[in-house]
Amino acid sequence: MRLTYSKQMLGAAAALAFVVAAGPLQAQTRAETLRYVTGASVNTLDPNIPGSTREAFAVSLSTYDRLVSFGRKQLNGKWVFDLDSIRGELAESYEVSPDGLKITFKLRKDAKFQDGSPVTAEDVKWSLDRAVTAKILGKAQLLTGSLTDASQFKAIDPLTFEVTLPKPDKLALPNLATVYPIIINSKLAKSHTTEEDPWAQAWLKDNTAGSGAYILESFKPGEQVMLKRNDDWNRGPGGKQAFFKRLILQSVPEPATRANLVEKGDVDIVIDLQASDAQSLEAKGKLQVISTPQYNAMTFISMNNQMPPFDKVDVRRAIAYALPYDDMFKAALFGRGELLTGATWADGKPPSGAFPIKQPIKLDLDKAKAYLKAAGFPDGFSTTFSFNVGQSATAEPMAALLKESLGKIGIKVDIQKLPDAQMSTQITEKKLPFFTEGIVAWLPSTDYFYRNFYTGNQRWNYSSIDNAELTSIAQEARFEADKTKYEADGVKLNAINFDQMPQVPLWQPSQDAVMAPSIAGYTYQFHRQVDYRDLSRK
Amino acid sequence: MKLASTAKRAARRFASSLPALFGVLVFTFLLMRVLPGDPAVFFASGPNAGKEEIETIRKQMGLDKPVPQQLVLYLYDVGRGNLGRSLMTGQNVTKDLKERLPASLELTFSALLIALVSAIPLGILAALRPGSLIDHGVRLFCALGVCVPTFVSGLLLIYVFYYLLGIAPDPTGRVDIFMTLPPSHTGFLLIDFLIAGDFEGWWAAFKQLILPACTMALFVIAPLARITRASMLASLGSDFVRTARSVGLSWWRIVVTYALRNAILPVITIAGIVFSTMLGANVLVEKVFSWPGVASYALDALLSSDYAPVQGFVLLMAFVFVIVNLVVDVLYGIADPRISIG
Repeated sequence: MRLTYSKQMLGAAAALAFVVAAGPLQAQTRAETLRYVTGASVNTLDPNIPGSTREAFAVSLSTYDRLVSFGRKQLNGKWVFDLDSIRGELAESYEVSPDGLKITFKLRKDAKFQDGSPVTAEDVKWSLDRAVTAKILGKAQLLTGSLTDASQFKAIDPLTFEVTLPKPDKLALPNLATVYPIIINSKLAKSHTTEEDPWAQAWLKDNTAGSGAYILESFKPGEQVMLKRNDDWNRGPGGKQAFFKRLILQSVPEPATRANLVEKGDVDIVIDLQASDAQSLEAKGKLQVISTPQYNAMTFISMNNQMPPFDKVDVRRAIAYALPYDDMFKAALFGRGELLTGATWADGKPPSGAFPIKQPIKLDLDKAKAYLKAAGFPDGFSTTFSFNVGQSATAEPMAALLKESLGKIGIKVDIQKLPDAQMSTQITEKKLPFFTEGIVAWLPSTDYFYRNFYTGNQRWNYSSIDNAELTSIAQEARFEADKTKYEADGVKLNAINFDQMPQVPLWQPSQDAVMAPSIAGYTYQFHRQVDYRDLSRK
Repeated sequence: MKLASTAKRAARRFASSLPALFGVLVFTFLLMRVLPGDPAVFFASGPNAGKEEIETIRKQMGLDKPVPQQLVLYLYDVGRGNLGRSLMTGQNVTKDLKERLPASLELTFSALLIALVSAIPLGILAALRPGSLIDHGVRLFCALGVCVPTFVSGLLLIYVFYYLLGIAPDPTGRVDIFMTLPPSHTGFLLIDFLIAGDFEGWWAAFKQLILPACTMALFVIAPLARITRASMLASLGSDFVRTARSVGLSWWRIVVTYALRNAILPVITIAGIVFSTMLGANVLVEKVFSWPGVASYALDALLSSDYAPVQGFVLLMAFVFVIVNLVVDVLYGIADPRISIG
């Protein structure tokens, strides 16, 4: 009895001594540790697995390298990714042939995978073959850059890699900087392939085999991910390694708790607070709040162009002039973002070929009533307006204002709130007449937006618009090399879009990155997550 | 001898509940498929996912086969202890539940303990002086506990103890993120830390646990205290207590040994029900405190129509309910030897 007691005391004393010794050490590592919390969660380590979340994308950016990555630029005083500046990541340099059909990459000589083996052109070849061959997410993405077949990729020598294109496609190179075309340690991955799984999808889902800036320490799906710095990594801008020695990424579902955590200083950065919390934290002035309008995204109100009464263009125009945009913007987002309405277009023509573009529409009930009369509905009609539960914080106040305003021109609206999976099912089946949604393009060029979201009988064509002229101009613009002609195509597309009003653009919500005052380097990225490699502590 | 026969009867009781479990299994399976919302469409929502991706996921989940065949395959898998794969976490549901159930159980047990320790004395006090100031005070406290929703009381506790006073640790899960976890024996952190002899860790885990446990307890103190009071009133007014009083037995013996032991049966019943409900239905507490439990897991799965986790969760809850009822029945026998289960 006595013995056990003293043993316990000894144990406690040892523990205490350890704590005392570890004390200052821990304090130091806290400054070198980045703690990030989010309402979502990481569900796979390979971003290519169908169903992977945006948080999983962010982790893969730190654990894997790509051939190239985007630079950054300042937009209204805030750092955002720059589609037009592409720098080498695993590639030391790249060269596009004069006819635009060949891209040659020179790989870095010093690049090593996390297990110490060198990165070779063979690894790049295997990884990109996987991205276009296996049944994974990368396939559909790389298609948009004319990268469709393994025969397009060739390893010339261990450090030279060549991509051949069927047509000069300006999105081919940017596509290689997106989330999916990760460069995998092919030897390691191949040792985990099976007959049914020749691309090691099952293994790579729970393991990493990359050369990225961070090494995985622990991964609890749905709870937390811990990463430590890869000290050999030098692929940051200017050949630098990542700043933080350790990353802790945690799921905290309750937004109010996330706001408390960052305000108390226990968490360094969070990007998915409620607009009201972000606003009050900004007003208090203790934290840094960098709020960037998501310039590659757009929230809109969509109408099913194939379904009466929205098949009549005048009904769609009537809706566009019957919405209280300013009030909706304030109620839904507390004005945090960029409104896409209320512009004035001189002589009614779009001022540019860029997309999304501010529309010359505003609340004008008389005009709305006139359009409704012209459409043959002088007394209005009844319809349902849907949004998904996940969006209710912003969509609910917006829907209430929409209902009230449309009531004034005789349109009776029932509001329907759908669970997320139900909403996406009904959208895919084209069953919803009237709803709100948001879109985002990783590579935000005008033709990309129009081709993906305004053409074809497919899910992302939310309004189901089928306009032959728009479709042909958008397809043509894709391969248009001449910048002036491309701009002219963009203007034409914007003009058709305004005339047909298939869906009403509302706004670009801001991404509110709330962070400790000591954090520097935050950049708004195309994937709308934090790229942990950008950040440092002052 | 008595123990053996109790165990035997308990086993028989359990076996007789197997058809009910099977029914729950089939019913949930069919219900999930009747609900509108296609998981394949939901999970194929990357920026470029089209028809092909949806088909791939459908095949992966086995949804391309006819429903009866899916059911047979599912039953076969469950029979082998495989509850399927969750698309949401990318893991096996069995593994997910195994990791998350101890978290929920630890929280629920602690909450129930706090609730019982405070509700029974409160109920007894109220019953000893019905109509007095104490009785009204207890009634007010119970009413407050029930009418404040758990997420409000949870957020309030966080605001006061974490945000304002800074006593409580940050409400992010079961233990401080910078703490090394003990080797897992039971999955209950408080026990695992004790086994590992890590008292600092135990204290850290305890501090994380106390706020969510109190939040949950606040909500269930009312039914427990009210039922204790009602049952004690009946028991205190009965003949045997009057007799005990008249022969001059001590206060403690009268109230605890005679009155309480006779009044405890309904309290045990309610405690069993409260426990099962807390385990499955306290999504809000788990969400507010980022507690990695089974309830919030099931809710997330339900929202994204992820079939396997929801089915697994319902099966688990049915199973727990059966076990809890069994335990309650056994406790009946201990509290009142006249009752036997069978």
